[in-house]
Amino acid sequence: MEYLASDKIAIVDLGSRDITEEELEEDLVLDKIGGAGITKHLYDQYASAQSNDNGPIVLGTGLLTGTLVPGSSLGIMTAKSPSTGKVSHVPLHLDAGIELKYSGFDYIVIKGKAEKPVYLWIHDGIVDINDADELWGKDTWTATDDIRSEMGDDLIQVLGIGRAGENGSDLAQVGINYWQSADRMGFGKLFGEKNLKLIAIRGMGLLEISEPEDFIEDCAELITTIRSNSLMDMQGIAATAAALGEEDFRDWIGPLTHRHMACFNTPVATSTFIFTDEDPALLKESTVPEPGFLLTDIFPLITFKKAGLSAKETGAVLKACAKYGIDGAAVAELSAKSGLTSPEDIEKALPDLKGPVECAGSSVFSAWAAVGKETDENWERRQAVAYVMGIHPIWLQMAPDLTEEKLLDLAGLGTELELPQETLDEVIADILV
Amino acid sequence: MTVSRYMALNKRLISGEALTFSQGPGKWLHQTTQDEDRPLYYPKIGIYTGKGASHSWLWFADIFERLGFYDLAFLTENDLAQDALDRLDVLAMSGGDTFAIAEALGPKGARKLEDFITAGGLYLGSCAGAYLPLYSSKEHLNHFNFVAAKITNLTKTLPEAHSMKEKFCTCYGCSFIYHPVREEIEVTTSGLPPFGTSMTLTAPLYGGPPMTVTDPETILATYTNFTNKTLFLVDRELAEKTLFGNAAIIRGKMGQGHLHLFGPHFEHPHYLEANLFLANAMMWDLPVQPSPSTDLDDEMESRVGSEKKTFIRNLKRELSNSRIVAAGLEMSPLKWTIGNKVYEAGKIRVFLEAIWQRLRSFEKMTPVLVRPGQDGLLVQTALHITENIRKIKRGWDRQADTLEPARALFGFLNRTSALFLEIYFRSKRFHYSRENCIGTLSWSN
Amino acid sequence: MGLCEQDTIFRYGGFFMGIQIDALKCIACMACELACGYHRDDAFALLSSCIVPYRGREKKNYVGVILKEEDSLVAARPEGIEINRIGEEQDPEKEADASAKPMLLRESCDLCDDQDDGPLCIVFCPTGAISMT
Repeated sequence: MEYLASDKIAIVDLGSRDITEEELEEDLVLDKIGGAGITKHLYDQYASAQSNDNGPIVLGTGLLTGTLVPGSSLGIMTAKSPSTGKVSHVPLHLDAGIELKYSGFDYIVIKGKAEKPVYLWIHDGIVDINDADELWGKDTWTATDDIRSEMGDDLIQVLGIGRAGENGSDLAQVGINYWQSADRMGFGKLFGEKNLKLIAIRGMGLLEISEPEDFIEDCAELITTIRSNSLMDMQGIAATAAALGEEDFRDWIGPLTHRHMACFNTPVATSTFIFTDEDPALLKESTVPEPGFLLTDIFPLITFKKAGLSAKETGAVLKACAKYGIDGAAVAELSAKSGLTSPEDIEKALPDLKGPVECAGSSVFSAWAAVGKETDENWERRQAVAYVMGIHPIWLQMAPDLTEEKLLDLAGLGTELELPQETLDEVIADILV
Repeated sequence: MTVSRYMALNKRLISGEALTFSQGPGKWLHQTTQDEDRPLYYPKIGIYTGKGASHSWLWFADIFERLGFYDLAFLTENDLAQDALDRLDVLAMSGGDTFAIAEALGPKGARKLEDFITAGGLYLGSCAGAYLPLYSSKEHLNHFNFVAAKITNLTKTLPEAHSMKEKFCTCYGCSFIYHPVREEIEVTTSGLPPFGTSMTLTAPLYGGPPMTVTDPETILATYTNFTNKTLFLVDRELAEKTLFGNAAIIRGKMGQGHLHLFGPHFEHPHYLEANLFLANAMMWDLPVQPSPSTDLDDEMESRVGSEKKTFIRNLKRELSNSRIVAAGLEMSPLKWTIGNKVYEAGKIRVFLEAIWQRLRSFEKMTPVLVRPGQDGLLVQTALHITENIRKIKRGWDRQADTLEPARALFGFLNRTSALFLEIYFRSKRFHYSRENCIGTLSWSN
Repeated sequence: MGLCEQDTIFRYGGFFMGIQIDALKCIACMACELACGYHRDDAFALLSSCIVPYRGREKKNYVGVILKEEDSLVAARPEGIEINRIGEEQDPEKEADASAKPMLLRESCDLCDDQDDGPLCIVFCPTGAISMT
């Protein structure tokens, strides 16, 4: 696969510590396009009926991930969800998707179970399996700090678990660096079962483009159109809440709001950083080591707000969830059900929380991107397109200009491959089986 | 000559084909004397990488590789002081700190260099490498004094700097060497033999000398104009006076050998025409008799199969680890003064990229040829790079002094890149000669 | 040189034009970095880009933009602009490097002089954090 790809798939066997590599064949891309189309294919290929584990975890990126197509931030993690039992897909957003795209691999299959705790260091086409004895037991923040300090780079993206995953909680989440991710599927438990503490990713790759001038021209036209759209006013998580009818949310979160942060190349910032222990109006670098938290998921915010927690208390609880490595949405739902309203009580209860939870949804795609919408057929179709093409799944719902036809057109310009609508239809049907 | 013609020529030469200058494409170097019957051969080129050399020695490696010259050796001052020059036809000395180079080579290195050239060897000096052999009474430089040329950018009264006050001059005893311009400059070749008609070329100037000589027949090119990329460090009028009409390239003779001294960097990889001119001049003034062949001998060990794969993978791992940290540091204002030079964090990756960009083709070479233990040593020095650069990062985060790991780091970077390139070019030359030893290739004029 | 209100200005074809960065509008999406990387490499890559959102203080959410100019690194911080000269001698007692060779890795901003629509970082920035003076 010559264009928009590294042309490599890594197969990592945690048990034997063997790492093999395969080429990403063009035929596979013509057949399954990319993203969840291929991660699902690889999952099916490597999941063994005889295996007594939950099957492999497959990391991947969409066909257009890491390009200048607006919203092309998405990485994908595919595995069998411990909470739903289905082969499911979790979006890797923020900067995790792009780092994976430039890591030198298009897809990574992680199978088996390590004898003792390990972590994967994926960099520039190399996968290293390193011992994680010193990381095991640490919260996600400490583990992320330690890895970045050890490797000497602050931009390493870390997909990791906390004690929740190590202890086998169904609600365990694979976080992204210090933050809550979109993992509502309990993939953190899978990591724990495999004795996989975290995956550290950093890449300096390069993606060739088949028809660069036309591709860039189309991307430039898209962003120019998008910029003049009123949806560009929807910066930050409060704007998302307002769109869901939560009008007083701005007043609730406003006093703590520091800045809005976007995922890679996503024109609308869907995350907001609040300062809980620092003046949010501060412009220079804070001297407080951990002044606040990045809010990435609207559901727990609204739930905790309705339960009467202040924004500051909510920020503290979600920070504790992130450190513990548990899905904040599930915690919010279960806390509300059991009437827990004090942050201290909620934090104390974290190790004992058990599902099932409704916020996990019933789709194979993470309900994180539902954002108040019904996860019906239309929503699922749009999610599938996002996960195949590598477009931010919340952003894609907001961007009508990014039609399937347009995305296929761009894919053709970028890769030189002919990818008709019929192929996309088949791939989506296969994912949704 | 063009790149493809050099590649074609070098394929024939490395296959052992006996060619003479008259068999070049038409009037290759526009020469029409009996020298055309001189044999052409595949030259053995040494590139100085030792103390005082800046990273521009990597440019020589880049352009020689591009033109198909793979018989390259990478030499430190210690190599020069021993017998490394005995096995070479050409020594290329790029930019850096002239005084540091002179001090590092010392009288022993100077005598070795003199013997090399006198016996027929060719010296290519660019920038600092051009200053080195010029007549000088200054300490360390006074061991050389091979070429009776004067520089025109020497002054007792420092002119006013227009910009970049920190960059434009160096002390030279009681005087100053000032640099009137930086970046691109235009030179006009003299058209003197072995070259035909005069032509205009551009090349970048980064402190190299403008020269005057008593014998105009030794001038290969003069500075003639500025371009819209020229950056003036002094008043334009002074810059013109210092440069225009003065020698940008001179061709000195010493004994049986020659020295080509380039003020601008004709080896800069972005200036192809200049590179070709340098190569043409080099080929013309190669020693009449090539130095004895060595290197691909029984001492070499082959790395193939899983052993090769493991070696390259281990090397790649450390380079990736270092490169990741380096990329993170290079947009920081971090810098160190080591010797008389300022090293920015961005320079770290210059050396790493010189290796990294060649890894893909290195992986495809089978076998890879190493001296016993060289592969292990290479991985070990690469590991030291990783260790030191991570120390710098941790120190930077803590606002601690990072000079010591930086000093160690740049030493390892230079050593590692030179060692890698030695292995790389040795293996490449082996494959190149193996690929081309059968049959003949057509020569297209 | 410390913090100052001065815009980033550098010479271009004899006229003074500037890339202006409002760090507070930046949402750290990295579109500028990728666009500049494309301008340098004719491919999608980030290593050659001369404009880079600073993301190294993630826990503190301290985000700015760094631009490489011919002789300086311009840091557009939330609190103001800071300019650091490249190659400048830190010890005033010692001479600076008079003949520094360029590193040919990250070249300085050229305002995308070969692009009809001007600097690609401006074209692709979704929030208007980057503009021309």
